[in-house]
Amino acid sequence: MDEKRNAILTVAIICAMLLVFTAADLFNGDRIYSETENRVLASRPEFSQESVKSGEFGAAYEEYITDQFVGRDKWIGIKTASDILMQKKDINGVYLGQDGYLIEQHLPSAYESVQVTKRTALLEKLVHDWNAKVMLVPTADNVLTDKLPANAAYYDQEALLAYVEEQIGESHYIDVFSVLKEHSQEEIYYRTDHHWTSLGAYYGYSVWAQALGVRPYDYSVSRMRTASEDFLGTLHSRLNLPMKGDEITYFPETIKRPVTVTYDFEETMDTYYQESYLETKNKYGFFLDDNHAFTEIHTSYRNGKTLFVIKDSYANSLIPLLTPHYQTIYVVDLRYLNGSLYEFMQTYEPEGGMDVLVVYNCIHFLEDFQYYE
Amino acid sequence: MVFSSILFLFRFLPAFFICYFLVPQRMKNFILLLGSLIFYAWGEPVYIVLMLFSILSDYIHGILIDKYRNRRVSVFLLISSIVINLLMLGFFKYADFLIGTVNALAGTSFALLELPLPIGISFYTFQTMSYTIDVYRGEAKVQKNLLDFSVFVTMFPQLIAGPIVKYRQVEAQLHRHKSDLYQISAGVKRFVAGLAKKVLIANNLGVLWTEVSAMNYGEISVLTAWLGIFAFAFQIYFDFSGYSDMAIGLGACLGFTFPENFNYPYISASVSEFWRRWHITLSSWFREYVYIPLGGNRKGLSRQLVNILIVWALTGIWHGADISFLAWGLWFALLLILEKLFLGKVLSKLPKAFGRIYTCLAVLLGWVLFGLDSLSQAGGFFKALFGAGSGVLFDGQGLYLGREYLLLFAIAAIGATPFIGAILKKLEKNRTGYAIALYRLGEKVIPPLLLLLSVAYIVDASYNPFLYFRF
Repeated sequence: MDEKRNAILTVAIICAMLLVFTAADLFNGDRIYSETENRVLASRPEFSQESVKSGEFGAAYEEYITDQFVGRDKWIGIKTASDILMQKKDINGVYLGQDGYLIEQHLPSAYESVQVTKRTALLEKLVHDWNAKVMLVPTADNVLTDKLPANAAYYDQEALLAYVEEQIGESHYIDVFSVLKEHSQEEIYYRTDHHWTSLGAYYGYSVWAQALGVRPYDYSVSRMRTASEDFLGTLHSRLNLPMKGDEITYFPETIKRPVTVTYDFEETMDTYYQESYLETKNKYGFFLDDNHAFTEIHTSYRNGKTLFVIKDSYANSLIPLLTPHYQTIYVVDLRYLNGSLYEFMQTYEPEGGMDVLVVYNCIHFLEDFQYYE
Repeated sequence: MVFSSILFLFRFLPAFFICYFLVPQRMKNFILLLGSLIFYAWGEPVYIVLMLFSILSDYIHGILIDKYRNRRVSVFLLISSIVINLLMLGFFKYADFLIGTVNALAGTSFALLELPLPIGISFYTFQTMSYTIDVYRGEAKVQKNLLDFSVFVTMFPQLIAGPIVKYRQVEAQLHRHKSDLYQISAGVKRFVAGLAKKVLIANNLGVLWTEVSAMNYGEISVLTAWLGIFAFAFQIYFDFSGYSDMAIGLGACLGFTFPENFNYPYISASVSEFWRRWHITLSSWFREYVYIPLGGNRKGLSRQLVNILIVWALTGIWHGADISFLAWGLWFALLLILEKLFLGKVLSKLPKAFGRIYTCLAVLLGWVLFGLDSLSQAGGFFKALFGAGSGVLFDGQGLYLGREYLLLFAIAAIGATPFIGAILKKLEKNRTGYAIALYRLGEKVIPPLLLLLSVAYIVDASYNPFLYFRF
């Protein structure tokens, strides 16, 4: 009798699990976008005879079901917890570093020398066309090396930077690597996100000023303001574990003087900082309203100087610090811009010329940097 | 559709079994056929025509062979059935390989067909051939019910990756298959265990193998290379045997008894033993329908060795139309021949540990041929295994990967031996209160836990390639 009861229970528990999740999933509405994953989820594919016959419908439907599965984020959390129990030190491409640091993994094998040569050649062309300065920011794995798990592999960006410096010439190269290395014990990268913090950007700013030979503005690190204390960034999303949030800070000096910031020729704001993003998952969007193809900034420093920035999201926390040095700042994010960058830059170049600055983290540089003449 | 997917677990499975258990007995085979066709068509709707053709062809051949039994024409009918099956398999699986080989040898440039391989074709053609051959030999009765015969060929649990069920093994269950509570309970446990083997162990060690196999073999340490090939060995075992477990479990729920496909192959003390424990239904198919008809061991030693060579060359290319797979098969043929000649005797006199280490090494080296895309890649990997890669024994990379996967390797190693099974048996047989209580508790807690974890890994993973789809 005992055996029978047991068999019934075993079957009942498994069947109940399958049925309950199935039912919950059926009644669970579809989401268009996953905030934690920062991507658009697959939606119900359109049914047609053609698509069924080719097998496209089947494949798309499967992707849709998986993407929209009930409790998706919680499942990821369970998986992460189990990986941690299994003593894993990298999970979904994220190293579990010391002091609670999540550090994005970039394996050496992922970046080929062809890619390095190609991107650097493009950069070199841009540098020589525009006499540009280049800030390539190393990612956390190259700077916080003492916080990585023992023997963890990372793509060596120091070697990449040495090569880039050699190709574009010393006078065009701004050495962010060394200064970040010097301050590697400070909070220069977020623990839960792949970006550098405002403090990291500040050190970047200081070497920029040095390289240009301008007197840096007297930003006070001790008086930085906190915009949010519970920022759980992109790296946290890959694990979905309960964690303490990061602080997002900014320099109050950057909001003292009036400024106008126009995004994609449409929306004009009077600040660099969008508090509405602090209410969302993507809190880093606080800086420069997340990412836009083209941003036009007019400061209240009437020095007649213009800066043109070609950048990725790392620049978003840096650009406000450049305010005192320019009257006008144009910012282009190549991931969202179509057409010839050269021509685009020409239309914005004032008669007296302009400074050009390239700001990327090393990885985005290798993956995304483009320069069409 | 694969078993380890949200689509299968939370759409197909509940919908199918609800329909299956609700309809009256006489409708069950119809539902099973319908479900199986949907299951198959999900990935490649067009090739369903091919499968239906194969069913009709062998259904008709079976009837005709039976009708003209003991007449000369029945031989031709048998040959016709086999030729049709082999032509189908040959055209879809081996045509490009042949064209490529001809091009390479003769310097011609015939265009490749580049047809996608119909899923499961290697499995169902072998199953239907077993039917016509057995009918011809009088070892199976002719099947006049087209529905029952279709169910034999298309049944979704074993359709795409085996076990390769011989017709006579399920003959008696085809028309009426009823499962009782204990069968269902055992089936459910078996299915979940198989799912966990595939998703929790095979897929995760597969990540390590993918990583190592993509490295530059000239630069990796000996440690890294061995970690890689061990990872592949466990991946392919847990992947394939997990899939067989799921098939056998689902079969049990439907009232079918499928043959076992694996019997702890990695504890084998000789290569001959390995092939009695690995992919049993395939080796027994080749044994019964190729090796023995060729004369087996009854026509003298030299003939037997040739037969071994033939069977293992075929086994090799059954796994894939590529010179690597042929080499893999021939590697085992060589070892089996050596064992027949003298090695077997030597091994039987030595302590068992020697045999185990030798077999383990033989199988691992075989996996290099099997797991890499070309012979030249395999050559590079062999060098790395024996220190001619970077020339160092271990490095930071190897240490990191070793530490990262240590626990999973340990679980996989234990899981690949009969150890856990033996403990479970002991607990179950030991009728003392304590042991049985522990067993009963585990029985209730472990399957749900494994299912939960497996679903978490399935949701997490975009990485879910099923290895045996290539075959």
